[in-house]
Amino acid sequence: MTNHWADLQNAKVFLIEGSNAAENHVMSMKWIRKAQEKGAKIIHVDPRFNRTSSIADIYARIRPGADIAFLGAVINHVLQQGLYDAEYVKLHTNALLLAKDEFALEDGVFTGYHEDKHKYDTASWAYDLDAATQKPKKAASLDDPRCVFSKLKAHFARYTPEVAEEISGVPAEQVKLIAETFANNRPGTILYALGMTQHTVGIQNIRCYGILQLLLGNIGKAGGGVNALRGEPNVQGACDMSVLNGYMFGYINAPNHNHPTLEAWTKDNGTFRRKFTVNGLKAWFGENATAENDFGWRWLPKKNGAKDYTVFGMIDDAYAGKLKLLWAVGQNPMVTNPNLNYVHEALSKLDMLVVQELWDTETASFWQRPGADPKAIKTEVLLLPAAYFMEKEGTISGSGRLVQWRYAAVKPPGKAKADLEIIDTVFRKVRDLYAGSTDPKDEPLAKAVWNYPAEHTAEAVLQEIGGRVLSEVTLPDGKVLKPGAFVGGIGQLQADGSTSSGAWIYAGVFGGGKNLSKRRDAKTDPSGLGMFPGFAWTWPGNMKILYNRASCDADGKPWPGTTPLVWWDATEKKWKGVDTPDVPDATKGPETPEGQRAFRMNGEGIGRLMAAVYKDPDAKEKGLPRDGSYTPKDGPFPEFYEPIESPVANVLHPKAQHNPCVKYPRVPGKQPVGTAKDFPYVLMTSSIAEHWCAGSTTRNVPWLNELQPECVVELPTQLAEKLRVKGGDKVRVSSARGEMVVKAVVTKRMQVMKIAGQDVPVVWMPYNWGFKGLSTGPSTNVLTIDAVDPGAGTQETKACLVNVVPVEEAVAQR
Amino acid sequence: MSISRRNWLKLTAGGGTGLALAELGFSASKVQAATGHLKLTGAKQFTTACNFCSCGCGMVCNVVDGKLVNLEGDPDHVINQGALCSKGAAMQATHESDRRVKTPLYRAPGSDRWQELSWEEALEKLARKVKDVRDSTWIATERDGDVEYPVNRTDAIGFLGGAQNTNEECYLWNKMGRLFGTNFVEHQARL
Ligand code: SF4
Repeated sequence: MTNHWADLQNAKVFLIEGSNAAENHVMSMKWIRKAQEKGAKIIHVDPRFNRTSSIADIYARIRPGADIAFLGAVINHVLQQGLYDAEYVKLHTNALLLAKDEFALEDGVFTGYHEDKHKYDTASWAYDLDAATQKPKKAASLDDPRCVFSKLKAHFARYTPEVAEEISGVPAEQVKLIAETFANNRPGTILYALGMTQHTVGIQNIRCYGILQLLLGNIGKAGGGVNALRGEPNVQGACDMSVLNGYMFGYINAPNHNHPTLEAWTKDNGTFRRKFTVNGLKAWFGENATAENDFGWRWLPKKNGAKDYTVFGMIDDAYAGKLKLLWAVGQNPMVTNPNLNYVHEALSKLDMLVVQELWDTETASFWQRPGADPKAIKTEVLLLPAAYFMEKEGTISGSGRLVQWRYAAVKPPGKAKADLEIIDTVFRKVRDLYAGSTDPKDEPLAKAVWNYPAEHTAEAVLQEIGGRVLSEVTLPDGKVLKPGAFVGGIGQLQADGSTSSGAWIYAGVFGGGKNLSKRRDAKTDPSGLGMFPGFAWTWPGNMKILYNRASCDADGKPWPGTTPLVWWDATEKKWKGVDTPDVPDATKGPETPEGQRAFRMNGEGIGRLMAAVYKDPDAKEKGLPRDGSYTPKDGPFPEFYEPIESPVANVLHPKAQHNPCVKYPRVPGKQPVGTAKDFPYVLMTSSIAEHWCAGSTTRNVPWLNELQPECVVELPTQLAEKLRVKGGDKVRVSSARGEMVVKAVVTKRMQVMKIAGQDVPVVWMPYNWGFKGLSTGPSTNVLTIDAVDPGAGTQETKACLVNVVPVEEAVAQR
Repeated sequence: MSISRRNWLKLTAGGGTGLALAELGFSASKVQAATGHLKLTGAKQFTTACNFCSCGCGMVCNVVDGKLVNLEGDPDHVINQGALCSKGAAMQATHESDRRVKTPLYRAPGSDRWQELSWEEALEKLARKVKDVRDSTWIATERDGDVEYPVNRTDAIGFLGGAQNTNEECYLWNKMGRLFGTNFVEHQARL
């Protein structure tokens, strides 16, 4: 989240699309309802009329996978009607920067496409740079046809309300009403979850949100923002800690094979991030990491730049017999991964599977899956009993980036152990097995700092994450940091190895030598906005609202008519506020370049309406970039593409039906694609209020099973009538990948939609069941497709094609 | 709690398709009043946060003689102010459940059953496997065009998980994975 949970109370309008917050992020409703009591409007856009829809002021039914068609039209309406915040757009976004003339979109494909590789050469998606400074040239007004703003307008001009209706099913008049309601009530916030990301256009869906909020000046303000409601309790923290193949040390790109040195890596990633990398390497390798040995760079494993290291690459490699050992902790892919029959085959080819869990899950017992022959499965399996959250201590970071300490209240049952202890023990054992080795490959194990105390282990690890002063540092203001102290914040981290931090964004969590995640002041809220700065600790730097510099104008004064968050105090010569100011340096005022970088994590320092390819040159180190900006692989602007399995042709450009960057199937024979002829209905899946994700935990709680005893399929009334199916009848749901039998729920919540002149029935299923636990049942993910977004690697579980037929016996019994 | 489980079920399920269940949330005062009936005198209180969704609702564990006698929403918490949803309110059952795995288990190749192992045996097996796989699949260098690059990795070990773990566990999990030489370090974020 750019903002945080309690900040939802400050919004005047909500656009909730791709989330059923009322069921899946229940506590958000506490704050959304508060805002609603004060008059805020709620817009809910969803293929299914659910509990969130029932409290919405406007509910729009949308076809799964058609979000860009709808949002493109909302953006277009905002642009055409002049509903945007022109001053904010000019100051805080790249609207005025000049883009290259070569850049274009033709028949749904951007310039630079290589069809054979499913890839773009992105050179033309760039700015027109000034030859001397290598910085983008700037237009005098938004009307300049070469500027980003004009390109944006031209790009979205095709997305008329009528086109949106044809593709998405949202009536044209409602598209306009939503655009106007959202634009005319500010600040407005956007909430989304997996409903928006689990598509082959997941990143571009979210890019639409970024563009819309930048146009409306809603980023960096209380009650605004783009807020991802993340699924798992610590999915935020797991990402922060780089449990993602592509990152290290907190969203720092992990090295590829062609980065043999830190310098080679810096050429691609910039000097700004190099500093944090050095701090990370110091945290991992301590005194063994020196400037002379490139801070131990050679001890990092380098990825093959062309290889897929996501969970889908893992499954594909397991199936190919290349991945030998898979170790899963608290994750149950035999329920939650799509295309489950294939996942089962892949697991069956592993040498060893290790599962660290509270329960015996579908993954741990995959060899017992109904229909499987255990004798034929040669995989060794270890099931290690893990402690649950109330049985151990440590921190988690929720969606609002609040890092909270949890105390261990009770001992784990039986011989179960905390994951921290298991990980620590295994590492030491492996290190011992290599003791005395002189093979360079084993150096990382010997050179790493890994000697955590047996007591208070979690706190010791948090100290390493937060960072230490290693040798004396004198800060620009004359303050001296002594070796052994904990760093007070990101600003104290040094580029030369005199400080360390395992994840720079958490620098300062031990500021002043105290574990700030333990703070409990739920009473003091000087802002009156629900920030409570003395309760736990928020990364980065206890900042509650990211990009809050954008809440001010060029002079550092809060925009007129807005709630002041931060401001430049000309007398004290300092950025001040009720929140930690999001500026590179609190002493550098609006007259300096640093004082104008409201989006300082972008190379340009401003918000990106066009995600142009850009590297900001380093003023001091010639030839190296200071920082770069992320450009999605599939385009600098979002473009609508149909899901891989879709019942209709792409209305905008039939030649580019799907996202051109998606390669699917990846594994011939294992990833079949169904067509509407055999599988005429669109299936979307999601979780429910009573069961959670794989259901490993919730399906072992008797009263949650009483509330939601089994998996079902929700069918629109019109479809059920056609199929002669009544509520409670058993039906067989099938896709190109698998089939299952469940009871039907006949409901008006789902509808047959009118798309591109065709009738398109949309059905829904929860995905929380499997063959283990107290409540067992078939897993919906045998049906779903494992095509993924080319950049994010999220699978398209929100839209695939299925067929539904009544089960004969059930009909006969009636 | 003064609301019996049955009544609670009625109260929640009675909401039908509306928001009653999802929005139920036990108000702080109700929970405090209700818990007053339980003999919590002498109970030690520990604060924690829910482990289902990412709202991060605060919880208070009441412990008597090492036993978890009550778990409820934390009234002094800035996100939930004492309330919990249907899932969060069910958390106590997860600690007490007799379905928890309580000892390391092993399933041999081709076997149709689990067998119990000691921790020492289990972790020894795992550590040896890590070493064997690492040693037999190590990629020291890799050619791209005309250049032979040092890459120092294995692509044969996969780490999966983290979103159910603490930050400290995630940090060590990732650190261990990369030190072993694998980049297959992933968790639920994409699922
Ligand atoms: S109590 Fe409910 S809303 Fe709160 S964190 Fe747990 S699952 Fe989420």
